[in-house]
Amino acid sequence: MLFEPTEEHRLLRQMVADFVKREVEPQAEEYDQKQALNVPLLRRAAELGLLGLTVPAEHGGAGMDAVAAVIVHHELSKSDPGFCLGYLAHAMLFVNNFYFASNQEQKGRYLEKVISGEWIGGMGMTEPGHGTDVLGMKTVAVKKGDNYVLNGSKTYITNGPEGHVFLVYAKCNDAITAFIVDRDCPGFSTSKPIKKMGMRASTMSELIFEDCVIPAQNLIGVEGKGVHHMMRNLEIERLTLAAMSLGIADRCLTEMVRWSKERIAFGQAIHTFGQIQRYIAESYAMTEAARCLIYQTAKSVGPESRNRIGSDACKLFAAPVGKTVADYAMQTLGGAGYCVEYPIERFYRDAKLLEIGGGTVESHQKNITKDLVRMVD
Amino acid sequence: MKILVTVKRVTDYERKVKISPDGLSLVTEGMNFVPNPFDEIAVEEALRLQKAHGGEVVVISIGHKDASKEIRQALAMGADRGIHVIAEELDPDAVARLLMKIVEEEKPELVIMGKQATDDDANQAGQLLAGYLGWPQATFASKVEGLDSEAEKAQTPGVVIAGGEATVIREIDGGLETLKLKLPAIVTTDLRLNHPRFASLPGIMKAKKKPIKEVPVASFGVDITPKVRNVKYAEPPARKAGVKVADVAELVNKLKTEAKVI
Ligand SMILES: Cc1cc2nc3c(=O)[nH]c(=O)nc-3n(C[C@H](O)[C@H](O)[C@H](O)COP(=O)(O)OP(=O)(O)OC[C@H]3O[C@@H](n4cnc5c(N)ncnc54)[C@H](O)[C@@H]3O)c2cc1C
Repeated sequence: MLFEPTEEHRLLRQMVADFVKREVEPQAEEYDQKQALNVPLLRRAAELGLLGLTVPAEHGGAGMDAVAAVIVHHELSKSDPGFCLGYLAHAMLFVNNFYFASNQEQKGRYLEKVISGEWIGGMGMTEPGHGTDVLGMKTVAVKKGDNYVLNGSKTYITNGPEGHVFLVYAKCNDAITAFIVDRDCPGFSTSKPIKKMGMRASTMSELIFEDCVIPAQNLIGVEGKGVHHMMRNLEIERLTLAAMSLGIADRCLTEMVRWSKERIAFGQAIHTFGQIQRYIAESYAMTEAARCLIYQTAKSVGPESRNRIGSDACKLFAAPVGKTVADYAMQTLGGAGYCVEYPIERFYRDAKLLEIGGGTVESHQKNITKDLVRMVD
Repeated sequence: MKILVTVKRVTDYERKVKISPDGLSLVTEGMNFVPNPFDEIAVEEALRLQKAHGGEVVVISIGHKDASKEIRQALAMGADRGIHVIAEELDPDAVARLLMKIVEEEKPELVIMGKQATDDDANQAGQLLAGYLGWPQATFASKVEGLDSEAEKAQTPGVVIAGGEATVIREIDGGLETLKLKLPAIVTTDLRLNHPRFASLPGIMKAKKKPIKEVPVASFGVDITPKVRNVKYAEPPARKAGVKVADVAELVNKLKTEAKVI
């Protein structure tokens, strides 16, 4: 019941698992090597209703909760974490964030396009000079008549190369404010894709604002109050990123157990060796612990209920689990684990990102301690 | 057109089944259950026919109380309502006779069933039902154009309904056979009839509100005493290791003398 609190959650997991088996897994290796986002696959996910997962039904979404979001990211990442990151940047960082922060007029202009996958979205927070220290961002927005004029740049923005629309944070009179920027706004451009170690089935680039003019109606919420939206959305972002680590760990564990049964060394299956047993058993225990923590925390994350310390804890715990289990799987597979012919090296490369993106493990340590120091008398 | 579709809950074909220590039953504890894959094809076919001809798709499952999950999945794919006959494991004959009662009450023009269930692979219920009802039947329905065809991409039904008749292409040993059946009729599905759709999220949310009628098996007044007795379950013999041959000549020789296949 923890993992599938309702019948709808169970059917959702089954649907995503079927989709993964039939359509995601067969393309995973190809797009990793191509270093490209599979846009038609993202539109397939739209047909299944996955892009508007957390948007209420009256606005064309499925109206599901953070547990559902965890289920989708968990299942997708058992097969293709790179694609899942592109999905996350669209469905969580853009659609979810936008829905809960925008007004009716803005919903009317954008929601249908991004839920249907006609337009791809992304979110720009990080800057070349400000990552963990995001509140120190330097991108500025100045109101001029019916427009805002933006100057500055964002970097490492997932879906930057493909995106049609971005939720961007910039400073208005020194206070962080959220805006919507369309690709065709004058003065807006994106850099070439930035190459990376893993998560290659999603792309990222810089967003560049050179006297970029956006209509004043593209201000999200209230001037100077962008941090509220940012902090709220970071919770579901961290939770779903943690769910990606869980998916990676689940898959790597399965691959490692299968291999250990089939691979014979010194005349016996390698799972009979104590050192291999340690890799398998520890991977199992830490994966189960991550599973319980993430699903338990997901119950209390939502647009109206906050759980910052919980979502930070999920990612702080799960990201190293994904990385460690991928490492143990590679060790169990030996040379095969290191070869591209087997999927482990891809998961190993992908797993590392979760210790950096959406907040470094150090930032989670900082946040959690700050919250606890405040909470404990 | 009203179409009745059957959905059976079966053990996950991707997991290994275990036999109880006494060899008299299968261990169901801890098993994962899924809808019979042939039945998902049946649901898909019914939904495509409904799209073309209108009407209603009713899903029936006879079995364990948890089989409501499999009905719910068919409703999430798009079926309209469900009937769940709650019963212990039954043999195909009892299932066919219970279905006959439901068919008499619901009066559908078409019943679509999987050709067999992947748990016991009996391949009997459809044929028995047709026999009891005295209806025409077409088993192993297939799509003549194949599953990679444009027809399949356009979600065209493989079964053609026109003028009170169903035209069904079926797979037989020597090739394909075309049958014309007078409605009402029974069709059972083969693997190459269609690609079943996923239960989309909007479908999942809608399914929540669709009705499933639960009926205790006793209310039908059908004698369900099994006519088939399971005497013993046994694992298939483990496959023996292969042998390496030096060259083509040795392979051909072994195929002739040992395997005796050429
Ligand atoms: C694949 C990928 C996709 C991404 N997608 C997006 C996206 O879509 N949108 C977006 O806005 N951003 C995105 N990012 C950016 C990501 O969120 C940042 O990389 C991350 O927040 C870290 O910032 P940084 O890289 O500037 O590192 P820094 O902040 O420069 O950190 C460098 C090191 O210093 C440590 N450090 C910094 N400050 C402290 C401190 N106070 N205490 C202790 N240690 C500290 C960090 O933990 C880290 O170890 C993405 C990044 C990657 C790699």
